[in-house]
Amino acid sequence: MNEEPTRRDVLGYGARGAGLLVLGSTAFYLTKKAHAKGVWVIDPAKCINIRLGTTGIDQFCDKCATTCVIPLSAVRAVNDFSKCGRCCICPAYFDVASDIGRDGLPVRKLCPRDAITREAIGDVDPDDPLNNFYEYTIDKTKCNGCGKCVMACKEPAGLGSIRLEIRYDLCTDCNRCAISTACPEDALARITRDLAPGGKAVESSH
Amino acid sequence: MQYRQVSVFAGKGTGADRFAETLYGIGIDAADLIYAVGDSEVKVFDTQGRLQQRWATEKPGYCVSISADRTVYVGEIGQVELFDAGGRRKTAWTDPERLGFVTSIGFFGDNVFIADAKDRCIRRYNKSGEWINNIGKDNRTKGFLIPNGYLDFAVDKEGVLHVANPAKHRIERYTMNDELLGYFGRFGTRQPEDFPGCCNPTNLTLTRQGDVVVTEKAAPRLKFYDRSGKFLTFVGPELFDPNCKNMDIAVDSQGRVYVLDTIRLNIHVFACEGGAD
Repeated sequence: MNEEPTRRDVLGYGARGAGLLVLGSTAFYLTKKAHAKGVWVIDPAKCINIRLGTTGIDQFCDKCATTCVIPLSAVRAVNDFSKCGRCCICPAYFDVASDIGRDGLPVRKLCPRDAITREAIGDVDPDDPLNNFYEYTIDKTKCNGCGKCVMACKEPAGLGSIRLEIRYDLCTDCNRCAISTACPEDALARITRDLAPGGKAVESSH
Repeated sequence: MQYRQVSVFAGKGTGADRFAETLYGIGIDAADLIYAVGDSEVKVFDTQGRLQQRWATEKPGYCVSISADRTVYVGEIGQVELFDAGGRRKTAWTDPERLGFVTSIGFFGDNVFIADAKDRCIRRYNKSGEWINNIGKDNRTKGFLIPNGYLDFAVDKEGVLHVANPAKHRIERYTMNDELLGYFGRFGTRQPEDFPGCCNPTNLTLTRQGDVVVTEKAAPRLKFYDRSGKFLTFVGPELFDPNCKNMDIAVDSQGRVYVLDTIRLNIHVFACEGGAD
């Protein structure tokens, strides 16, 4: 037996549909808002290891390595291969102030954790190291983001291919980031996730 | 031998004799007029730093050289523009393949040598703009090692090219037929004759006596070697902006050395104490 829906039924369906629509919209809005919450980024114009104008390896700042709440900091150095000069004597790899060996290269490495590897690439000349290009790769399991290599690589001494980045898969996203509190240059900023990385800061650091 | 600064001119500013944003290249003609390129202009100064004339270039110029017949060659991206001494455009050699990024130009007889920093080698042309051969390209690294993206050289009285090969920390000498004759220089941070950093020296010129004059970055220095590579002297970094790099150099007939500060956009003039070299 088919009964035609009454006017009351139609109004009821409409009301339930409208309710579901409101609930769905609210859930979508809250979800979007949750995803849009801030993340921490390093402002390259402020970080003393990255910004131009301060040079000299003795000037480097290691607060990112020493103050992050997780044991091996969420900040890591990253080498941008598109900018790297693949130099034979990379000042971020070698301690260029150390003695020179028989091969004409500095005898000590710069990274205190030996996190950078150097490999000759292309048509390699085994006899003359100056005759080759080199690829420098940073081991993320060793790097603690101390920034020493970043300071050594930046212009004008280097090409600025190495930078510090916060690894979002490691960052615990503290509301009050310990690094931002310790950073002497106020270089950590909280920005909306949509803008990270490199977006415009919309919240202050502290 | 000691060099001391005798004057500074140009500088950052909006005046006709200043540079607003960029200053990349310098060259000097036989009459000791000083040509500087920056802000897509050529500006001509006398030795006192007084502006004599200026004209616009089609594209930003990165180097300038003046041939014996007073043709002004301006190196740009993809081409070389040629002007007469009055700034009237004569022609342009447009060759994006061989003139990708022109950062130095030199002459010997009917040969015009052009550094293409994009392809990391020197092109040899005749005066009609016809390509003859490359220099420094046919080697294991397929060109000079110039992480700074700037290739500089000078040609001596015998037609030998002296080239800065910064990532090898060397000055190399080539015949115009691409034969490597020899080199001097090595990496080092403790002795002033050595070349520090990833890639030095960046720029090079020759005095009339054949001494080699180079500039370095980080820290910016001006250094002098004799033709055999023996270190003579240097001018320390305190006179230049510490972030300077690719500081072009030229020498006039009196042996005065003109050096660009590419950050402050100054032209520094140095003279050898006790007279010209």
